[in-house]
Amino acid sequence: MKKLSLLSICLVLMAVLSNCSKDNTGPIDTIYPEINTATNDAFPKQCSIVKRGEKFTFKALLSDNVQLGSLNLDIHHNFDHHTHSTELEECSLAPVKQPAKPFLLIKNIPIPTGLKSYQVSTEIEVPANIDPGDYHFMIRLTDKEGWQTIKGLSIKIE
Amino acid sequence: MKSFYVLLFSLLFIFQTGFGQDKHGLPDSTLKTTPPPSARQLKEVVIKDKRLQLHQTEESLNVITINSDFIQRNLGGSLMKTLERLPGIKTIGIGSGQSKPLIRGLGFNRVVVIDKGVKHEGQQWGADHGLEIDQFATAEVELIKGAASFIYGSDAIGGVIDVKPANAAPKNTLGGSIDLIGKSNNNLYGSSVNVFGRKEDWFFDSRITYQNYGDYSVPTDTVFVYDYAVRLHKRNLRNTAGRETGLHLNTGYIKEGFRSVFYLSNIYSKSGFFANAHGLEPRRVNTEMHDASSRDIQMPNQQVNHFKLINRSNYQAKGHKLEMELGYQRNFRQEFSQYVNHGYMPPVYPDYMSISPQLEREFDKHVYSINLRDMMTIGNHKLTAGFNSEYQDNAINGWTFLVPSFKQATAGVFVYDKYKINEQVLLHGALRYDFGQIRMFKYTDWFDSELITGSTTILEKLTRANDLNRSFNSLVWSIGINYNPDQFLIKANVGKSFRMPIAKELGANGVNYHYFSYEKGDPTLSPEQSYQLDLSFGWNKDRWSVLISPFYNYFPNYIYLNPTANHDFYYGAGNQIFQYAQSKVLRYGGEFHLKYKVTKNLSTELLGEYLFAKQVSGDKKGYTLPFSPPASALVNLTWSPESVKHSYFSIDYRITAKQNNIVPPEKRTPGYGLINIQAGTKFGLCRQQLMLSLQAQNLLNTKYLNHTSFYRLIELPEAGRNIIVSLKVPFNIPLNKQKNRNQ
Repeated sequence: MKKLSLLSICLVLMAVLSNCSKDNTGPIDTIYPEINTATNDAFPKQCSIVKRGEKFTFKALLSDNVQLGSLNLDIHHNFDHHTHSTELEECSLAPVKQPAKPFLLIKNIPIPTGLKSYQVSTEIEVPANIDPGDYHFMIRLTDKEGWQTIKGLSIKIE
Repeated sequence: MKSFYVLLFSLLFIFQTGFGQDKHGLPDSTLKTTPPPSARQLKEVVIKDKRLQLHQTEESLNVITINSDFIQRNLGGSLMKTLERLPGIKTIGIGSGQSKPLIRGLGFNRVVVIDKGVKHEGQQWGADHGLEIDQFATAEVELIKGAASFIYGSDAIGGVIDVKPANAAPKNTLGGSIDLIGKSNNNLYGSSVNVFGRKEDWFFDSRITYQNYGDYSVPTDTVFVYDYAVRLHKRNLRNTAGRETGLHLNTGYIKEGFRSVFYLSNIYSKSGFFANAHGLEPRRVNTEMHDASSRDIQMPNQQVNHFKLINRSNYQAKGHKLEMELGYQRNFRQEFSQYVNHGYMPPVYPDYMSISPQLEREFDKHVYSINLRDMMTIGNHKLTAGFNSEYQDNAINGWTFLVPSFKQATAGVFVYDKYKINEQVLLHGALRYDFGQIRMFKYTDWFDSELITGSTTILEKLTRANDLNRSFNSLVWSIGINYNPDQFLIKANVGKSFRMPIAKELGANGVNYHYFSYEKGDPTLSPEQSYQLDLSFGWNKDRWSVLISPFYNYFPNYIYLNPTANHDFYYGAGNQIFQYAQSKVLRYGGEFHLKYKVTKNLSTELLGEYLFAKQVSGDKKGYTLPFSPPASALVNLTWSPESVKHSYFSIDYRITAKQNNIVPPEKRTPGYGLINIQAGTKFGLCRQQLMLSLQAQNLLNTKYLNHTSFYRLIELPEAGRNIIVSLKVPFNIPLNKQKNRNQ
């Protein structure tokens, strides 16, 4: 009898403890935002080519299940082939070379608040006096909860 | 594998020839005859079992003790991997040789590791840093699951792992052992050679461990870094090979009522990181260079050296036991990687830099520790009063910045009373006060960052950390009860623990390029506090034993690195801002352990663990904590045949649930089932008992992801099938039989 009562005390305590915080505050968001560069008008795409001394328009469709956060763009050289893209398709690379004046762009692109989907379209000027060659076009997108999606495209600057 | 056999046979040869020389042992006429080794071993086991049982019923905290037999049976890539079989224990691992403990989901600076009585201080804060402990030099490990700050001070919020060295040998013995290890998955070969001896009061115990392993293999030939397909050569994870050495010398004086022992050790390891992705950053590799050998260690790699000198002394006088530990340790860790101009760094590494372009990070830590304790017996009270203090000096180097240099001093005093009311009831009460001070030093970038506002361009070397001086104090307490009516065991403990914020949490303002994260410290953080209730219910009957240990834990101000929705293009070089913040956190869970002896030779075990964590305030309200291990259960069947003594054949089936309870930047991890087999036997050869152990880990070569692995985020599967063979050859060198006869 004594054992039984002890055992039941244990079970009751376990039950109490396991019920301590069942105060569900609704489902949490566990979904990463998406960067879509597959649409027809999206630019650049994997292996795209842009020209020095000219402007191009960065276009991509951004979306999230709840709310988009912020967008950052980073263009850096890959003359040493130190990284590869995040994409399936490989692009042909020029031979490894020493950078002299590589193009570097680190830019935040504002996204209007409260959106689930946003078509980004922003002009980027490529200076005329930079090294041509292989570059990475890194897109970093967060949503409001802090999930980040990274897309690293290989591009060429001619 | 070939080199492993060469090593095995050469060591066996040494061992055999060693025996030939036995009779010419130490020329010391004062030595007395050695007791027969088998009797000594038998006696030891009996004492240990009783002591462990007593320990369980006399500690109000949840304690598990394992010995070197357990380590031999379940030998993993590191001590922590070996301990992972225990319920409530997980690891954060990188590669096949590096891992750090996770107790009930808490790790990093929330778990204290004690080695030979002194708090082990490495680089606990980093996910890719392992624990510098040689598992072959470990005789016993005591794990405390739950808050134990009242004894161990800051950081013992999640639990304590107390690693104990071997006891001194009995008087007038000279002996040792040779361990040989081979593993099929990463082609590891290794050995640990131990020689110990003792005259009357003086003893020594020395050990050399060496392990060498190649790249580990996974059950797939392609892994995907994002969508980019990385082909694996022979299913090996490129550049995950490593080397490890451990040197140990313990020596001391033991007399009735007094002992003083010096422990000297040096643990060194060099291991590679997976070459195709450094952190979350994809890397293009020269596959030809990397795949030429599976044993070479190219960049990126890490080298860690941990040196320790500890003195442990105790003195027993009437009603008092005085204990002291003095320790010095130096942890020196370097991370090597090709220079890559992240963010605003210059495209070509400048010539004028004094730092090598290959030295990405370096952490150099010197730690001085002192512990004093007086254990008094006054009637039914066992009172312990103690003092702990530690001083740390941390320097940094390398071309990237994560943590500033800092100096830190902490001191704490405590009293702990264990009051025996009667044979069945024990009460515990403890109070502790700590004071700590941290001084951080300014760090300025070596390169210019560029800020363009309109037509003006500002070039400036950014200050990543400022001089900062902060002090903390904390009062913690703990009360507990043990109630042990006949076959039952009931424990309850409630207490408060704390943790001082670390330099990174207070002052970092740097970019972790491998994680695309810009980590911002908060200099105003307060010491983290935790309240925890621990319970244990046990029942032991002839063939049954059950232990259920639930816990409930609340943090009013858990320090957490919060990934925000924003990017910083200047200080953060375009990376996502990760901001250290404090939030209220609720955690509960527990472990379950059932043993049943089906027949005399057949026994079964069921282990289970469950953990739930939730942030109840702050930016990530509703989310869990990072590295929350999923629920899992293990079923074991062990057969120990009577005909072959000291033999076992045992099978573990572990089923791990999926983990959907995640927080940025984690990913959902699917569940999986794994089968491990352990078998072993002891057999006599040349009057010695040899111990042979075999293991098959991940027997079915299952491809799975481990939620708490460092490589989880880039979706690297865990190691495939691994056959582990280890042989322990103990030896005793009889001392001067002839001279004894002459006496």
